[in-house]
Amino acid sequence: MKPADLDAPPIRTRGLGKRYGPVVALRDLSLDVAAGEVFGFLGPNGAGKTTTIRILLGVIRADSGEARVLGRPVASAGVAWRGEIGYLPGDLTFWPGLTGAETLDFLAGLSGRPAGARQRLLERLGLPASVLARPVRTYSDGMKQKLGLVQALQCEPSLALLDEPTKGLDPLVQQAFYEIVLELRRRGATVFLSSHVLPEVERVCDRVAMLRAGTVVSVGDVEALRRAERRRVIADFDADVDPASLGHFGELAVASPRHVEMMVAQAAIPALVARLGLLPLADLVVERPSLEEAFLEHYR
Amino acid sequence: MSVGVLVRHHVRLHRAALLPLAAGLALFEWLMTFVAGEPAVSRFLSEALRAAPPQFLALLNQDLLVGVSAQGIVGVGYAHPFALLMMAVWAVRVPSGALAGEIGRGTMDLVAARPVGRGAQVAAALVVLLGGLLLLTIAAWLGTLVGLTMRPLAGVSAWRYLPVAATLCLVFACFGAIGILVSSLAREGGVAIAWLSGLLAGSYVLDYVARVWPRLAALRPASLFRYYEPQRLVTAGFRGGDVVVPVAVGAAALVLALAVFARRDL
Repeated sequence: MKPADLDAPPIRTRGLGKRYGPVVALRDLSLDVAAGEVFGFLGPNGAGKTTTIRILLGVIRADSGEARVLGRPVASAGVAWRGEIGYLPGDLTFWPGLTGAETLDFLAGLSGRPAGARQRLLERLGLPASVLARPVRTYSDGMKQKLGLVQALQCEPSLALLDEPTKGLDPLVQQAFYEIVLELRRRGATVFLSSHVLPEVERVCDRVAMLRAGTVVSVGDVEALRRAERRRVIADFDADVDPASLGHFGELAVASPRHVEMMVAQAAIPALVARLGLLPLADLVVERPSLEEAFLEHYR
Repeated sequence: MSVGVLVRHHVRLHRAALLPLAAGLALFEWLMTFVAGEPAVSRFLSEALRAAPPQFLALLNQDLLVGVSAQGIVGVGYAHPFALLMMAVWAVRVPSGALAGEIGRGTMDLVAARPVGRGAQVAAALVVLLGGLLLLTIAAWLGTLVGLTMRPLAGVSAWRYLPVAATLCLVFACFGAIGILVSSLAREGGVAIAWLSGLLAGSYVLDYVARVWPRLAALRPASLFRYYEPQRLVTAGFRGGDVVVPVAVGAAALVLALAVFARRDL
């Protein structure tokens, strides 16, 4: 077993590739996730998010490249390091005959660490003892997801890999989950969160990577990503203007003599505002794009 | 440590099946001692066996001369398809459920993402397989012991059936080890069950056909049931091959299972 590189980031991949027969699931995926950050891993279904997480855990093997987790190469580091990891699978299934409590005990036992955070998580996510005493087969999808979150985080992992963590949760529980993630960050844990729910990534993540067809198309701060995206400019006029005279500033979405909507690069905003000042301007709105718009722009 | 946790987990998943299997086996072997001690039943069976074609006797794995004795009738209890079926259920269920079953159910990710080696998963399946088979074997033999203690039969001792029960356990442990190999290759518990059941049934049929059809006699060693002959064990005791072949085949299957499971994607 190779020793851990303590200065290395908790997750580092270089040139990861994976094929399933003729299907390319991952292509040359390189990522660094820093200690203590909440990292969002975005992408549509089939983009390779789950494959990446399963490679990071050593559940499947990459065809090419290297993955290092907690400073150790996944392929040759033995298994002890997984005790520091909390994992929530995207396709969550439990043993239907076991009760929730038996499930948590079993999985904590396998982790080999005390389940110090269990009670707190159960209270915050709203899983009472009466529910835990029931077989999992009687649980709703939301209850199973809560149980999944508890099993992933109950042993206070230093790295949490959460695949679609809010799937099936109602808004109140989602809110509780976001608070739990922020607490994990305060405690110094690293959270790697895969999702296609953009508002949640926008809300809790420090950085985000966008994945498309197995390739990372963008990595950066959530804020930087937004800044890099175009702004929506909405201008209303008191008198008729020629919208075509504004066309060279950006892409016209709505063009009428008294109302113009257009997408404009951030760098072109000052020049556009100066030009609009020369026109009979009645109202001006410059909107920052939501992460969702940024996301969609990448996938157009 | 993880092996112990996994063993407890498998026991919890399979314990509901173990009790009826053990009770069924114990009751069946007890019943055979009762049948053997009942003159009318014994006489009827003797006549039926004498009248039966050799192909039918081969199915019961019986030598006619031994079969008509009380000792032979008790021995039938260890070769009867009911006893074999009880053992087969455990030898198929545990290996199939442990590896392929977890993958197919989707729970393998929860286990494999923890500090649990692939070898530990194979070892845990083996421990539960062997532990269950041992319990079933003890239950079967206790049925014989209790029956013969309650109703002693002249010249028949329960101790003579101990090697029979041990060999029965060994043969099914070997099938279970092959089951672990099959399970380490499959992606669904159902697929592993189908393959292993087919292998068991095929092995049984091969042994039977090779016994009744001399032209195929040379193929008999290819069946694991060749190494389990209750009547010979009662009358002549162990033969080296009874132990060596199942142990060697089982060990080879386990080594292969470890190699395959350690390298595959889950």
